[in-house]
Amino acid sequence: MAKPDLFERDVVSLRDFDRGVLELIFQKALALEKAPKSLDGALEGKLAVLLFFEPSARTYSSFQVAAETLGLRVSGFSNPKSSSVSKGETLYDTIRMFEGYGADCFVIRHGMMGAARFAAETTEVPVINAGDGRREHPTQAMIDLYTMWKAFGKLDGLKVGIMGDLRYSRTPSSLSYGLSNYRAELCFIAPDALQVRPEVESFLNRQGVTSSKEANLKSVAETLDVLYVTRIQKERIPDPTEYERVKKLYEVDLAVLKDMKPSLKVLHPLPRVGELATEVDSTVLAQYFAEAASGLPLRMALLNMILGGEE
Amino acid sequence: MLVRKIEEGTVIDHIPDWKSEVVARVLRLDNLSRLEADASVAILQNVASKLLGRKDVIKIDRWHVDESEADILCLIFPTITINYINEWEVTKYAPQVPDTIEGRVRCPEVTCITNADREPVVSKFATLKRDRSLQCHYCDTVIEFEEVPELVKA
Repeated sequence: MAKPDLFERDVVSLRDFDRGVLELIFQKALALEKAPKSLDGALEGKLAVLLFFEPSARTYSSFQVAAETLGLRVSGFSNPKSSSVSKGETLYDTIRMFEGYGADCFVIRHGMMGAARFAAETTEVPVINAGDGRREHPTQAMIDLYTMWKAFGKLDGLKVGIMGDLRYSRTPSSLSYGLSNYRAELCFIAPDALQVRPEVESFLNRQGVTSSKEANLKSVAETLDVLYVTRIQKERIPDPTEYERVKKLYEVDLAVLKDMKPSLKVLHPLPRVGELATEVDSTVLAQYFAEAASGLPLRMALLNMILGGEE
Repeated sequence: MLVRKIEEGTVIDHIPDWKSEVVARVLRLDNLSRLEADASVAILQNVASKLLGRKDVIKIDRWHVDESEADILCLIFPTITINYINEWEVTKYAPQVPDTIEGRVRCPEVTCITNADREPVVSKFATLKRDRSLQCHYCDTVIEFEEVPELVKA
């Protein structure tokens, strides 16, 4: 069987990645963690263009450091206010402009759903989706999967609880698509109004993935291997009293975790805003800072595979 | 009720009764005179049908409906049949549910890139035939076939 190849490939949706490709990325990221300097300068002379049409600090910085460590020159913007986008320039025109400057890859964050797919159809240059509206954030999900893969040594057989705002967040959908490659069981824990989007549910059904929906963590707490926590966004629940009530149901602290498996791992794409108590940080359950730190080797490995750097 | 035979044009038959207005909207028949000044349209509603009991029929004189438009109609009303008339000769066309629909249907998701101002992007949907729904190629939003008439672009 031919080896999975990521050379010049777009990263738009995790639905486009099978387990063979994902595990190759994980292996390369792990090798990089063991030899952190091994890819320094591997892509020298190439140009990565980071176009962040929505302000971002963490994802932008992660891609920037990854690219620069590989020797890439970095251009673009981390905030649309500092670009021609503020004058009304379209995504299409922005891509065509930077294509003319010799871009070797684009990393794009955009507020509109499907922007990354459109960008990938606009240019021959590889496009990496760094978040398109509430649709997907595939590299974050790769990091989430990589973190679980390292913690458990496998993804098959895990029961993963994905909790919080599943309707308006982009990471739960990408994570669900990624897990659909494995014999994992998914449990979506959210109030009705914020439950997993129908298109995600329908994809999982077509793939034959075992999944369930729960209104609260308590009913499934002791069966989970992984608890993936996301933030309930205040603006999604207009009634402040209702928001306070709902928010409390999805807060994780030591008292909540005491009923769960001792081997449980807690993940969070960060930033957190109160839904995950800091008292959890010092326990062996907490994986979210390791998860954040995994972003750099994983994104380096991914960029290097897409741009065909020396190994 | 008699409507004379036509020499050139299209007869859309086996429309479920009282649904011809939906067909007219999907085909943008109110705009037809801009495309063919001499075209005329007869809409028959609730006429007897061996197949359906009751049906609607649309006869369009001097205008051939595109097969791709007929295929979109078939999404909504699978019973529809199309007869093309050329010099009094009738050719039957059996519409097929298309695999994709490009440019004709608007995505209802307001934050879909296909609804962005001035981006040169054409809407595109894959048909999920088993689920009788369409899925947006860009934002993944799923719409039922029955919602299509409201989303057909003017």
